Amino acid sequence: MRGLALPLALAALLALAGLVAVDALRPSPALTRAEQARQIASELRCPDCQALSVAESRTASAAAIRAEIDELLAAGDSPDAVRSHFVERYGSWILLAPSTPLVWWLPVLGLLAGAAALTAWLWRGRSLPPMPAPGAPPNERLRARVREEEAELDA
Amino acid sequence: MPPGRLRWLLVPLVVVPLSWLLFAGLGRNPTDAPSPLIGKPLPSFADTTLVGDQFTSADLAGKPAVINFWASYCIPSCVEEHPFLLGLQADHGADLTLVGVLYNDAPNDALSFLARYGDGGWPNLLDASGRIAVELGVSGPPETFFVDADGIVRGRHIGPLDAASLAAGLAAIGVAS
Repeated sequence: MRGLALPLALAALLALAGLVAVDALRPSPALTRAEQARQIASELRCPDCQALSVAESRTASAAAIRAEIDELLAAGDSPDAVRSHFVERYGSWILLAPSTPLVWWLPVLGLLAGAAALTAWLWRGRSLPPMPAPGAPPNERLRARVREEEAELDA
Repeated sequence: MPPGRLRWLLVPLVVVPLSWLLFAGLGRNPTDAPSPLIGKPLPSFADTTLVGDQFTSADLAGKPAVINFWASYCIPSCVEEHPFLLGLQADHGADLTLVGVLYNDAPNDALSFLARYGDGGWPNLLDASGRIAVELGVSGPPETFFVDADGIVRGRHIGPLDAASLAAGLAAIGVAS
């Protein structure tokens, strides 16, 4: 059973990586402009509330940003251009999600590094030299010392 | 390197920086956001003032400008900074343009605020759509921008102005305070 555990774990990990890849690479359906606007609004932080997106907030500034998203999209800007329009004004603080896709892969990389470390550890445990047999005689220096102390006690 | 020593390196190299990062995050001020507009031209805008005049950002050309976002409900911060704005207008009204912008406020409430705490006579834009605030990346009143004579944003102060922040902002736009 123990011999099966490692291949099983690796197979499960590969299957998980496959699922993630399929999900990440699947082409997303084309969005209408209203859906695009809603998606961008849900990715922007409402400037005068805590932890709410522009799509969820009812404050005046969120409404102003929603109106501006609609206008920019209507003027032909791409969703990325709209996002960077607000980043130029508020800073990347306005984005609720990290803009570099690399960040999303960090947990996966962490998982792989952990699996590699575990594999290396298990492997090392298997290839350790056998324990020395018990009862091996102590060396001559120790014997001499024991004899000395016995002699002192007898004296 | 023996694996035993590798394990002890884990503490200074991974655990300590990570704990520091998380701990430093606790003390961060959520309203303290640096403006990406610093060093860039002021976005253009046009709006009506409290007294019904038209005002555009082109009216700021040629002189340094101080743009102050405020609201009558912004108490006590906007009340605290108001004397500094009145002093700025009195001392430097000739060298720079001071402009107020209402942040999500009703014109009548803003007029009563000025009647109560003093009206320095500088233009106050209504910004009813909130568009000017979005153009400048404002997250709430009071917030003040310092723009130099070339129309470049040189400073931003979040929260009420005081003598020190006002002096720093004015120095950044070449006005001796």
